[in-house]
Amino acid sequence: MTSEVYSNNVSFTYEQADELSLINTMLSIPSGQCVVLCGASGCGKTTYSRIVNGLIPQFFHGEFSGEQHTCGIDTAAEPIDKLTPLVGSVFQNPKTQYFNAKVIDELAFPAENMGLSPEEINHRIAEIAQRFNIEPLLQRSIFHLSGGQKQRIALAAASMLSPRLLVLDEPTSNLDTVAITEMRELVAQLKASGITIVIAEHRLAWLNGIADRYIIFDSGHIAHEYEADEFLALSPGCIAAMGMRALDLQPYRQRIKALESLTDVKKTSASDINDSGSASTQHDDATATHLGSSPLLSTHDLVIGYRGRDGFSRSIPDIDLYPGQIIGLMGHNGCGKTTLVRTLTGLIKPASGTVLLNGKPTKPRALTRAGFLVMQDVNYQLFSDSVREELLLGLDESDPAIIKRCDQVLEDLDLTRFADRHPMSLSGGQKQRVAIGSALMCGKDLIILDEPTSGLDRYHMEQVGELLRQLAEQGKTVLVVTHDEELAAGWCTTIINLEHNGSTSKPNS
Amino acid sequence: MHSTNTSTKAYLSDTGTPLCVESVAMTFSHSSNQRTLDPRTKLFLLLAANLMLFFHVSVITQLIMVVLFLLPLAVAGRWKLTVNFALTYAVLTGLGFLDPDALGSPWLHVVSALAVGCTMMLPCFITGAYAFTTTSPSAFICAMRRMHAPESVVIPCVVVIRFFPTIAEDYRQIRNAMALRGIAAGGWGLLRHPAQSLEYILIPLLMNATNVAQDLSVAALTKGLGREGAHTSRTEIRMRIVDWIMMIVALIPLALDIAGVIH
Repeated sequence: MTSEVYSNNVSFTYEQADELSLINTMLSIPSGQCVVLCGASGCGKTTYSRIVNGLIPQFFHGEFSGEQHTCGIDTAAEPIDKLTPLVGSVFQNPKTQYFNAKVIDELAFPAENMGLSPEEINHRIAEIAQRFNIEPLLQRSIFHLSGGQKQRIALAAASMLSPRLLVLDEPTSNLDTVAITEMRELVAQLKASGITIVIAEHRLAWLNGIADRYIIFDSGHIAHEYEADEFLALSPGCIAAMGMRALDLQPYRQRIKALESLTDVKKTSASDINDSGSASTQHDDATATHLGSSPLLSTHDLVIGYRGRDGFSRSIPDIDLYPGQIIGLMGHNGCGKTTLVRTLTGLIKPASGTVLLNGKPTKPRALTRAGFLVMQDVNYQLFSDSVREELLLGLDESDPAIIKRCDQVLEDLDLTRFADRHPMSLSGGQKQRVAIGSALMCGKDLIILDEPTSGLDRYHMEQVGELLRQLAEQGKTVLVVTHDEELAAGWCTTIINLEHNGSTSKPNS
Repeated sequence: MHSTNTSTKAYLSDTGTPLCVESVAMTFSHSSNQRTLDPRTKLFLLLAANLMLFFHVSVITQLIMVVLFLLPLAVAGRWKLTVNFALTYAVLTGLGFLDPDALGSPWLHVVSALAVGCTMMLPCFITGAYAFTTTSPSAFICAMRRMHAPESVVIPCVVVIRFFPTIAEDYRQIRNAMALRGIAAGGWGLLRHPAQSLEYILIPLLMNATNVAQDLSVAALTKGLGREGAHTSRTEIRMRIVDWIMMIVALIPLALDIAGVIH
């Protein structure tokens, strides 16, 4: 049996990093195996995936020691181009891993770089397009595809040169349930065709039955190695203790269903709430508390949408958002979650219908003043050069009351330590907290988070969940757009699924 | 090339559904967009625009050239962009003709000087926008390689083309983020504190660009963009008669102006 991946005592330190990211890794992956690299954020699994596909040490510089052979090529000695026809790579962010505007050009790209003839390239494109079921997409612009479609294209492009090895670095972190299921089918199919697959991943459930081996990383070391059956037999508690996401999502899905039906019941008759509320276990009193109060935001006959080339409109069932609630907004990509959120924060006008703020019909501008959106890419929302200044931006810095409130917010969000750091030097979760802090300083009542847990391990996901709860306890209305079933089941008090409600219409294709 | 098309079509129609055959037929009629010029012509127009700036051409030449440059942009279907450029040019040229002394307000000198400066730059923006927004990266790579441009020129140019659409999207996101924070909100917000607004837009834009650039480089590297040896292209580009006509027509006023025939 030949090893496609062979690491002997590999260690690596990134440039400008103090600590080793990977320490004395010994691993051998035989041909045809599907291996999952898992562990908490920063454990070294992404670093190891980069070692395997040669990006370390050829692109990411630093201190590399040991011996790494990928498909028989010594990655430290030979140029990375030698690996191009042998190793295909797919990365985490669907938006930034394609180079061409059109799908067909993107597929052709690796083959063109290898100098294949146009005839051969067209032949391969036809073959790959059929295998990955992307024929209708070939002429489309990748910019306008959904995240799931983009990852499908990325996987197809990585397979264009019939590689022996595929390296996938958190390929599903931005995908919804349906897209993950499709990804699973593709990966299973690729594995069946004999390709060796290495996947660094947080979300483990979709790999059950495909993965042969699980390698658990912990602060740069390989902590454990499990065969698939051993690993799947571990108790959920044991998996959780290792900081990993659940292997079995069924309980979470059931809980989401329960929360969803709760929302439906509430709409039909208010008197039923208490019964169904007590029926679902561990359901806290958050739903009960809002009964007395009035909704912060409600919609009435709302139709959302926008015009233009990708124009789209859909009606939204009437919803009420109460202070102290954590409302999960779910549904597959493209069902209008983002558009709804943009409408509720007044960034776009509703196509028709009204949004009521504290019971009164409201103009978009007032909604923008009352609500805040923590974007999926939080980098867009940080403007200052220190965390403290970020929170004080646009406020009167000479007012002691404001300074005091700023200190309080920093303390509440566990940011005091970073008060003088540059926001861009923080981790993703810390940046999220800074953005939320800025919303709290502006006195926003509605806080909306767009996919706050994509790409997060269990520990950080739970941290986000706790943060949501903390905001709700402060009397904020929290709306969270998410695909993350573990987050939704664990922390949301209500779930609105746009997939099951209302109707979508696309004026042109 | 045509023979390849038919063979691939045949190859797929054996297995595929009618729908699939249709889409494949669409797919392989791929000689790049008929309504735009060859990338090499676009680069030539860009060069011509720069020469105009260099030689300080007269207003008449400038007017002719701007109309010539806007024509292909309109043909490519970029109506909004064309109209915006045309209006900007008209307004700036009008401002340039103002006579501050006759109007009795000397501060207008600043305005008209600025306007003249901008009018001179505008042809470069027009041709630049045309070259970079209507060309696919693959067509561009192909054109550059045909011109035997070194890889160190090709790759940065391609990255720039890839960046353009993302900047528009990034800008929209940042403006939204600013609106949510109440920074420079509303239509006039940007103008009230221009320097500060620029900072708030540029910092996140650049921060994001750095991340995107790294991700793109990684993706391109694993796909062999930097590989030594011959690269091929399935995108067909060729100079058509329109391309030659466009180049000659653009060259005539420029040459006449430089020769001193047009004043």
